[in-house]
Amino acid sequence: MAAPEPPQPPPEGSKPLSALLSGIAQAAYCGNEDITEELLRGQLYPEAAPEEFRALRAKMGGLLQSIASADMDLNQLEAFLTAQTKKQGGITSDQAAVIAKFWKNHRMKIHESLINQSRWDNVLKNMNWRVDLKSQSRHIDQINTPVAIVEMELGKIGQESEFLCLEFDEAKVSQMLKKLSEIEESMNSLTQTT
Amino acid sequence: MYLSLADGSFRRGSSAPLRHSAPYRCGGRSVCPAMAAVAAGRAAAHGHGESGGGRGGSFLGPRVPAEVEAMARVLQDMGKETFRRLLRVTVNALEGKDCKESVKLIAESTNLSEEQLAFLISGMYTLLREALRLPLSTFKQEVFKEDLKELRIPEDFIVDFSSIVFGNRRPTSEGTALIQGSRLPRVQDFKWRVDVAISTSSLARALQPSILMMLKLSDGTAHRFEVPVAKFQELRYNVALILKEMNDLEKRSVLKIQD
Repeated sequence: MAAPEPPQPPPEGSKPLSALLSGIAQAAYCGNEDITEELLRGQLYPEAAPEEFRALRAKMGGLLQSIASADMDLNQLEAFLTAQTKKQGGITSDQAAVIAKFWKNHRMKIHESLINQSRWDNVLKNMNWRVDLKSQSRHIDQINTPVAIVEMELGKIGQESEFLCLEFDEAKVSQMLKKLSEIEESMNSLTQTT
Repeated sequence: MYLSLADGSFRRGSSAPLRHSAPYRCGGRSVCPAMAAVAAGRAAAHGHGESGGGRGGSFLGPRVPAEVEAMARVLQDMGKETFRRLLRVTVNALEGKDCKESVKLIAESTNLSEEQLAFLISGMYTLLREALRLPLSTFKQEVFKEDLKELRIPEDFIVDFSSIVFGNRRPTSEGTALIQGSRLPRVQDFKWRVDVAISTSSLARALQPSILMMLKLSDGTAHRFEVPVAKFQELRYNVALILKEMNDLEKRSVLKIQD
């Protein structure tokens, strides 16, 4: 976050390129289908010929995909972009700077979206709960035990969810918490060793 | 008060308070207004010197439901075989099963009129339902049998009724009653697995842990779902919070109805 910005004004053409990268990312990783090639060209590079623009878009899209797929950190990115500038038919160092800046700002979001793309099972989207005190029922005069009503929103990403309503007594909640602690321990041990 | 009543009601007089006041953690004090009403109704009935051995004071409440009385009348001259078939149907109905077909079969194979059949089934249903809702710890078989005798139900049938209320058929009926008592499914089994996706079609290097959970519920369904790490932390936090809230709730003695 504290990376010092270069003092000189951004090189010419950096604005449309940065916007183009945003557009590509929006379309490819955020599922925004409204962003078409025609729209991008009209808005950002109105003077470019369609073939020329298509080539630029394909090149940038390809670079972005390589970067996102490897989830490059800053060092990897620098090495990658330097190689690209030296390659024939590669990119200019100005373009490389724009890409680097773009990735720095959007890495988390794009990575998240890619992770979500690799999830096609039901996912826990949300949960709600409430603690009730049961006082009386038809068959039992006095109950007076607290119960937790838990609603879990389950569903596939981008699809309608189903709501699962469960009832827990205190023992069950405490048992559940114990299991969740086990999970956390197991995760901690995994992330610490790697 | 009960001891001063005429004989015949003596036994029921002394057993009734036992039956109605001890259960449900009332700590030996009858607090339920319904129970008080039963007692009052019984006292009133006896007070008026009603003959017939205190018919108004069975486990069915101060007044015997009309369908039960009607059933008892029809039962007088009924074969054991037919009775048992009807009883089986009634128990199935209490367990929440569909009994249309079996009732139709009985109607076709016996000479009972539609009206008699309706009396029988609804009467047996009410009788069993009322009997099953009383807790076994305080509801005694002899009391039940005595009550049925007073309804003039034939001895053989009393044995059959009793074997359902106090025999090994009871748990199923009771289980259904509890399930029907508006309860949400509970978790029966909880399995989990921590997955780390290494590489995927969209990510060459994912290395992102996520948790796969499987909940088996008391209603027989199973749910499998993935929980991203961030969601998992939220889940864990909330479950801990629920536990704390429940503990706090129990400490608030205002809400406790003391014995």
